[in-house]
Amino acid sequence: MKDKRKGSIKIFVILLIIISLVFSIAYLTLLNSKVTNKLEGALWTLPAKLYSRPLELAEGSNINIKNILKELDLLSYEETRVIRNPGEYRLKDNTLEIFLKGFQNQNSGIYQVNIETKKIKEIKRADGISLDLIRLEPMAIGGLYPTHMQDRLLLDRSRIPKELIQMILLIEDKSFFEHKGICYRCIVRAFIENLKAQEIEQGGSTITQQLAKSLFFSSEKTYRRKIKEAIAAFFIEFHYSKEDILLAYINDVFITQSGNRAIHGFGLASQFFFGSSVENLSIDEMALLVGMLQGPSLYNPARNPKGAKKRRDLVLSILFNNSVLKNEEFNALISKPIRIIKPTYKSKSKYPYFSDLVTLDLKKNFKDQDLRSKGLQIFTSLDPLIQTLLEQSMVEGKQELLRKYGSKLDELQGAAIVVDTFSGEIKAAVGNINPTDFGFNRVINAIRPIGSLIKPFVYLTALRQHNKYNLSTIIDDTKLSVPISGSEVWEPSNFDKKYHGFVPLHKALWDSYNIASARLGLELGYDSIQDTFSNLGIEKNLPNYPSVFVGSFEMTPIEAIQAYQPIASGGFFAPLNAVREVKNLEGQMSLSFPYKIEQRFRTEPVYLLQFILKQTFVRGTARGFSDRKIEKWKVGGKTGTSDDQRDSWFIGYAGNYLALIWLGFDDNRKSPLTGRSGALQVWKKLITQLDPHASDLRTPSRIEYEWVDINDGLLSDKECRNSFLAPFIRGTQPKVVSEERKKCRVSRKISPSKIISKIREVIDN
Amino acid sequence: MAFKYLLIFFLSLSFIMGCASVAQKKPDIYEIKVEEFSSSVKLLLSDINFLKEEILKVNAKRPSIQRIISEADSLWLKGDVVGANLELERALRISKDESALYLRLAHLRLEQELYKESKAFAARGLLNDRISSWEILLLNIYTKKQI
Repeated sequence: MKDKRKGSIKIFVILLIIISLVFSIAYLTLLNSKVTNKLEGALWTLPAKLYSRPLELAEGSNINIKNILKELDLLSYEETRVIRNPGEYRLKDNTLEIFLKGFQNQNSGIYQVNIETKKIKEIKRADGISLDLIRLEPMAIGGLYPTHMQDRLLLDRSRIPKELIQMILLIEDKSFFEHKGICYRCIVRAFIENLKAQEIEQGGSTITQQLAKSLFFSSEKTYRRKIKEAIAAFFIEFHYSKEDILLAYINDVFITQSGNRAIHGFGLASQFFFGSSVENLSIDEMALLVGMLQGPSLYNPARNPKGAKKRRDLVLSILFNNSVLKNEEFNALISKPIRIIKPTYKSKSKYPYFSDLVTLDLKKNFKDQDLRSKGLQIFTSLDPLIQTLLEQSMVEGKQELLRKYGSKLDELQGAAIVVDTFSGEIKAAVGNINPTDFGFNRVINAIRPIGSLIKPFVYLTALRQHNKYNLSTIIDDTKLSVPISGSEVWEPSNFDKKYHGFVPLHKALWDSYNIASARLGLELGYDSIQDTFSNLGIEKNLPNYPSVFVGSFEMTPIEAIQAYQPIASGGFFAPLNAVREVKNLEGQMSLSFPYKIEQRFRTEPVYLLQFILKQTFVRGTARGFSDRKIEKWKVGGKTGTSDDQRDSWFIGYAGNYLALIWLGFDDNRKSPLTGRSGALQVWKKLITQLDPHASDLRTPSRIEYEWVDINDGLLSDKECRNSFLAPFIRGTQPKVVSEERKKCRVSRKISPSKIISKIREVIDN
Repeated sequence: MAFKYLLIFFLSLSFIMGCASVAQKKPDIYEIKVEEFSSSVKLLLSDINFLKEEILKVNAKRPSIQRIISEADSLWLKGDVVGANLELERALRISKDESALYLRLAHLRLEQELYKESKAFAARGLLNDRISSWEILLLNIYTKKQI
């Protein structure tokens, strides 16, 4: 009986051993394959990196020195008296001396930019050789991350300074090239120390073990985890060379946390803390990073600068004690203060509203998985300077409105977007009036009635029919009643609640008369306006009810700005885009996004419309700018206010930029703001700071100017009251002379000064 | 009395100069009928390679733009159309006033069989203020090319 029991126990023990063995082998095989898979890169998910546009400084370009300094600040350049290191600059008299950090084809080095009368006169290298242009590096503005939010920049061996390797080995694992993944001597030492302390205080981990821990395990301090870590380290050493392991460690080790983004590896850490690539790090900067390995949070220089400096100095003293540093080098290095840059962004992106637009563009061409794991480099059209100015304008604009209208505007929201008029490149976007609050992106998601922003589309439709309509064509702004269904009648009213009778087309638009616009829309018909809509890039169909002509039509800010882009560019349609090119991890081109320009409208009708939109600034709702600015910017725009002032819009172009501002409440409540008192004020702030230069364009050859009367549109004269010089497509000028001109011709007296001015005019021509 | 004669003199002078200015009205150079030109222009219309040779001879006014154009031309001649286009668009962001850029972009799109885009670049180039007669003629070829 006893023997039988003994036999059963024996079988049970053998079975237990076999099962344990099977499980152990299975576990070890799994761990082994995990190790090889991960280290061979299959599981190293590299987020796509987003970059802004690089700023080009070209000889002959217009330049605003204040804006250049802002850009340098955004790129973490520092002003110094003597330039020694990449990322430093000095402005003396009219010369900007700058030590470029270098990027792709642009070499790092010192360059001098000579500026005269707001233009770049000359660019020189440090050795005195003249250059035509230099390029600042683009700004890293965010990434498209996998769910674990690990972020890193992979380095290859050639890019890692030997001083860094030497330092890592001295501090973290002196016997790295001697052990086989586990340093038994170090483990015994740590085990004794931990027993004494009755908890795990010390690790005897080698670099290989640390790599194993970083790749596969949590930071939990248990013996079980330590054993697993040792086994994984053994497999790593079995499969890979010491050089490969070291490279993997340098790329993978956790350095710090920035918001919900985990910074891994020395490549990204050097960018994150010093705004510089790892090759350009100084010895003390390397020592700071290496010192952080033992306690990423404890020795974080941003949170604990004293502790970080102490730790850095300890690393430097170890280098000194091991004869890596000479006495004077050591003394010089420990006397250096800790200098780190402000983190460029803490969440997924510095400009999340713009990044949304990038993602929309990319998803048409890339799988989401690839975007988040293949380490793509995405070069966008974002202009950090314009983005910063736009954000400031929104914040300051709201503050001013709050001062004026009080707390009822506390919850006022907004969206804004700036694009290049010709190419359709998106330069900046803000989906919230407080740009640091992330969430609902109103640029792409807020569908709102556009108010009078629709009117230029109606008038453009008319001006395309140039045999029928010109700026002097009379439009009826008397009472209008349109039967809509059954006995129901739609009767539009003007903003000032008045009827203006028969007015010329130009006046009807720049004074934004609703009744004239509705009557014109009905006269033109839905089909012809729908055709204009399609050519402007509006994908929605025009609803078949008359109130659309006075602003009940709904659009998102991005749809509205797309529709104005062909108007601002003189008739050339370009689909809005936020991405210029995508490069793979190796820096080779994966995909480019070339300009797609189409001439959708003849230049002449658009020119006529632009003339009217310019009047918004000359005599309309946006007046107040000097004539010089209006000419320099070649400006034009339109205000929009929806029913009960629920939406305040302004869209306008100046120089090469088209900018749209929307203000309103998310719950669609009434506001005291019109397009003029709200959105226009923000737009003015932006454009004044931007102060753009417009290209010199000629007047289309078929356009001729005539003096006409403002009120009746008939032929007038320069000397006559209420006259202004208006453009017409050749042959469409008014032929009838206005009553005003008849009067002013009779009353005109010939004076010598008039004769002299006439002679001058003739000579000038 | 003297004032009266002086007045008549000025009036006559202004009348004569006014008439002269009407007579000197500039011809409409922007609407050149390319078909009515010499046989070498007809060759430009019919031979795309000859046209390209002529386009590549047009230089930018600004040295900084010319430097980028040289890089773009070299890529283009090596067959790297994407690289050439990237460089040309880069230059266009720096200056929108250079006809040399619009000509190249119009021709590049023509080679890529993107005819609407080719015409659009040429039409936009024609809007520039500082433009030579030769550049006007070349740009007109793209806007009027029948594809």
